[in-house]
Amino acid sequence: METMEYDVAIVGAGPAGCVTALYAAKEGLKVAILEKDKEVGIPVLCGEGISKKVDQLGIIERGKWIENEVIGARIFSPNGTIVKLSSEKAGGETGYVIDREVFDKELARLAIKEGAELFLRCEATGLIRRDGEIVGVEAALSGERIGIEAKVIVGADGVESRVGKWAGINTTLKSKDIVSCFEYTLSGIECNKDYCDFFVGKTLAPGGYIWVFPKSEDVANIGIGILASYSKPGLAKELLDRFIEKHKEYKKGKPIRILTGAAPVSEPVESVKENILLVGDAARHTDPLTGGGIMHALIGGRIAGETIAKSLNEGDLGILQEYEEGWKREFGKKLKRNYMMKEIASGFDDKTFDMLADSVKDINFEEFSTLGLVKALVTKHPSLLMKLKPLIGIR
Amino acid sequence: MGKPKARVNPEKCLGCGGCVAICPKDAILLLTNGYASVDEEKCISCYLCVRYCPIGAIEGE
Repeated sequence: METMEYDVAIVGAGPAGCVTALYAAKEGLKVAILEKDKEVGIPVLCGEGISKKVDQLGIIERGKWIENEVIGARIFSPNGTIVKLSSEKAGGETGYVIDREVFDKELARLAIKEGAELFLRCEATGLIRRDGEIVGVEAALSGERIGIEAKVIVGADGVESRVGKWAGINTTLKSKDIVSCFEYTLSGIECNKDYCDFFVGKTLAPGGYIWVFPKSEDVANIGIGILASYSKPGLAKELLDRFIEKHKEYKKGKPIRILTGAAPVSEPVESVKENILLVGDAARHTDPLTGGGIMHALIGGRIAGETIAKSLNEGDLGILQEYEEGWKREFGKKLKRNYMMKEIASGFDDKTFDMLADSVKDINFEEFSTLGLVKALVTKHPSLLMKLKPLIGIR
Repeated sequence: MGKPKARVNPEKCLGCGGCVAICPKDAILLLTNGYASVDEEKCISCYLCVRYCPIGAIEGE
């Protein structure tokens, strides 16, 4: 078996893996990225919406990966009540509609530019242990067994992550903590290019929502996510097809791409164990309320890359723990709050969604606050307060 | 005897990996050619993956 030596071995060349690689390589580390597929960015497993806040991160510059810029989001309740949100308030998942293939390839290019090495068709198959310590990753490179020895190993291997399991971190998701997704890129439709649309309802998309993210006036990524605990075989596709059938502006479209997807909507797992780190979807950093994961993958990836560099440059693996403290500081509270919100909202029936939409439809979301929401509920639908009680006091 | 094991239909599967994440026995792998595969030795026929699949590409029950 051929063996190669690196400082860091990263399993998975999605956004989290590539950004971790980028920042570790920038600090002079020798970095290998192992990607099981033959091409970065394919298959796309995503609704392709992202906040414009991505520009402020300073990780990736505006480019061809942006297909459309929207001014906000519209949430449609089951009876058709519309709640409009400016993109800053829409949970961080709208602003740009992007091409994930181009986006992921650009992040890989940036990592390579800093010196990271990318291995395609390279499937990690297990960890290499020596004297009780993890010293690398075993992999199959185009079917050929190889060993990648590394001081630190990063699991950036997505929702289906196995690196964590190998290291003894329980990453198995319960049915109530994973969303089953199906989506089309539909061409030849009519849509409002200015808004990302979300359709909620227990009948329409139990425990989740249907999205319409416009790429242009006549092309959109239209998809559905339903909570796995409400799922039956093929239900996600069935419900999305039913939705499209009912909307004549979408019905006339033809799919140019079909995709399935899975989004963790769980609490985060232990993200550092010995010399193993988990990032992005593998660390369950996805926003449990929206299922959006790209922003956290980028922010968490950068913290991971910088922490690994600090740890190895100072020769102290104990420093790796700072990664967990770092991402918790950045988005730990948000994950906690939105997990609670998801737990509550996934039980809502159609009537509750309608009452909620009716209560908030006239709030000016530029000045949105928890107190404002409570006031609106007290005035319009006080019975909702009981349902939302656990959230009050959380910020 | 016993209940049939979960089986992925490779003609249908689009390789999202949700079944891998939900499997309590780590019995499902996402292969490099883009579809999932069940290890029959490990499968306990709980069918969580069957119910999960957005396009009904896994059979069992």
